[in-house]
Amino acid sequence: MRLHKRVCKRLILLFMTFWLSGCAPFTENNLIEEISPVTFLSISKGDKGKLKVSTIMPPLSKENKFVMTQEVNLLKEGVQKYNLNSYQEIKSGQMRMLVISDELGKDGIMSIINVLLTDPDISPRIYLVIAKGNFDEYLESQLDKDENFDYSFYRMLKHYEKKNQGELTVVNLHEFKNFLYTPYSDPFLPVFKIEEDGVNYEGTALFQDDKLVETISSLDDRIFQLINNDHYLVVLPIQKFEIVLGHVRSKIIVDIDSSYSTMTYTVNIDTRIEEYRGEKQLFDPKQLENMKKDIETHLEKQTHELVKKMQELKVDPLQLGIQTKKPFSKPMEEKKWIEMFEKMDIKIKYNINIDPLTDANSKRQNL
Amino acid sequence: MMETHQLFKKNETYNGLYAMLLVNRLQMLYFFLIMPNILINPYMIWVLIAVGILSQLNLLLLSKWLLTRLSSNGYNGFVQLFGKKLVRFLSFIGLFFILLKLSVITLGFSEIVQTFILPTTDTNFLIFFILLLCFYVAGRGVEHTIRFVFISFFFTFWMITFFVFFFFPPIAHLSDLYPLIPMEWKVENWKAFFLILSSYSGSEFLVFLGPWLKTNNKTFHYLSYGNALTVVEYVFLFIASLFYFGSNFLSKTQYPLINMGRYFQNPLFERIDIMMLSFLLFNLVFAVSLFLLLFYGASKIAFGKMSKPSSVKGLLFSVFLIFIGMVLVNELFWKSWEKQNFLLNLQIIAGSISYFLVPLVIVLVMKKEGVKKHAST
Repeated sequence: MRLHKRVCKRLILLFMTFWLSGCAPFTENNLIEEISPVTFLSISKGDKGKLKVSTIMPPLSKENKFVMTQEVNLLKEGVQKYNLNSYQEIKSGQMRMLVISDELGKDGIMSIINVLLTDPDISPRIYLVIAKGNFDEYLESQLDKDENFDYSFYRMLKHYEKKNQGELTVVNLHEFKNFLYTPYSDPFLPVFKIEEDGVNYEGTALFQDDKLVETISSLDDRIFQLINNDHYLVVLPIQKFEIVLGHVRSKIIVDIDSSYSTMTYTVNIDTRIEEYRGEKQLFDPKQLENMKKDIETHLEKQTHELVKKMQELKVDPLQLGIQTKKPFSKPMEEKKWIEMFEKMDIKIKYNINIDPLTDANSKRQNL
Repeated sequence: MMETHQLFKKNETYNGLYAMLLVNRLQMLYFFLIMPNILINPYMIWVLIAVGILSQLNLLLLSKWLLTRLSSNGYNGFVQLFGKKLVRFLSFIGLFFILLKLSVITLGFSEIVQTFILPTTDTNFLIFFILLLCFYVAGRGVEHTIRFVFISFFFTFWMITFFVFFFFPPIAHLSDLYPLIPMEWKVENWKAFFLILSSYSGSEFLVFLGPWLKTNNKTFHYLSYGNALTVVEYVFLFIASLFYFGSNFLSKTQYPLINMGRYFQNPLFERIDIMMLSFLLFNLVFAVSLFLLLFYGASKIAFGKMSKPSSVKGLLFSVFLIFIGMVLVNELFWKSWEKQNFLLNLQIIAGSISYFLVPLVIVLVMKKEGVKKHAST
């Protein structure tokens, strides 16, 4: 009787094994030799409203890398078109970046963002980047020189993503979408320009809803990093005064009056002088004080212009509107906020705290 | 050995710690995964807490029943209380409630597994595998199934600590929690209220586990600890999802908590959400196994087969019936969005009703029949 049962059990096990392997319900093929994980997609405008989708194919075997480009109506069609011609199926599980051309950005990128968010394979941590210039062409030319261009680009973004690394805007998919959906805030993305010598960081693209409306660069972008993104800059060069401020940290205090007509935006900065090529004697407390005043007014003016630009464009990447939210009152409508923001009188105030100079200064007279 | 195998035999009784874990894990089923996208507004935090306190009242009634001698007699106890005919009728209705709960949690989980882990697999296969596992656990009898709650708890509880990360910037913004008090009360908020009540339900099934629970003065305390733990988990997860998504974005995400899991990063294992989901299945298997046993027991009562000994074969037959039923429900209801909503709403209502009525009715009838709690140790 016992033996009979044991045999029975084994037979069932055997049957299950066959059944599982034979008519397995899992149909997706993930055989490593037959898939081609892509690390990024670059999307630009094609002819007649089509999308141009490109990526570098990194076959796992020692085949040469190549750039795959398809012109399609819908984003995922590009992937499908390639799959129809190759034994290596494209898989997006390892996707790290999405490079969007600035022209496409101006048209709006909501549909593309939605494609990425609905695919469970794609992590919400992938970086979004705006590229100016022909990215595909650059990729083609780069394959011989820098085989791992895509990977090093990703590493760079990853390096600067961590808080207080300073310097450049890095935004991932989730953050972009969060800014897009949160009332009183607008998303922004980093812009990279394709030049002959490489891909260079240019500044920050400001979005109104999902449409790119403005790119800010140089000093404006420095200020944007300082007051919004990282609250930290490794170096802040101000050519006008021939000075470089280093390790700049900022603290922001925003105060909106009860009638929502004026906003006082105070930026407190702690920094030290890294480099100076001007004529002033910065060891002299008085002259240092003068210099501080000069820098403060200069930054105030620049920041005021930047915010004014935002007011004109009706974008609020600084999330100033969030200040109007109160724990015990009904939040106002977003539209109403933007109208008020447009008319708002904004006062910018900088308080700079510069560490006094201690070491070396060849021009110091009294020593 | 096999011939004398009794699914409902009682050799051991479990102490208050088990009661606490039973309450907690039965409350942390499918609904907590979809809950944040229905709650949306930050002031729902207070509703979560308020309903948690309300649930405490139900547990008080429940513990009153568990402390009586009748509850430890199982079926005979119910017969003494209600009479044979009424018990048959009530267990017949109970079958519907159990089947609905079983279907919603199993189909819900299998849909999530299909979306996030096995996109090309038919959900019917997943249901089959889940039920196969649950049959194995349930086939060991009630005692072992109750003991399984420990495994279920330790495989799932630690996951909540991951969500601590969302409480810190850069994504978090304190103003995501504003407004803290409701400025207007809409119809959707009532739906959210019942959803919460239904999510807290599950512990009313402890009514039938009386014979296996060691009860004393502290039973109510343990039940409350379990409930309090659930409140903490719910509030914690809800606040985390508010920080991560913000109210507006939250309503657009179907499975907020799993999508949050996708944001975690690990250089070794990228899809942490897959791992978390797999661990969550332990909780599902525990709950489904328990409900399978309850279903089998209730169907025996309903069809007047109490004199026959319970057997694994009988259980297998009822699991088979449930499987067929679930596949039908899956094909007819779950796969289309609107009908799925209907089923979810049905479970929300059914869960709320059963959680509200079961302890209340039992205690009222007890009062009427003059049943007193036995001397506690």
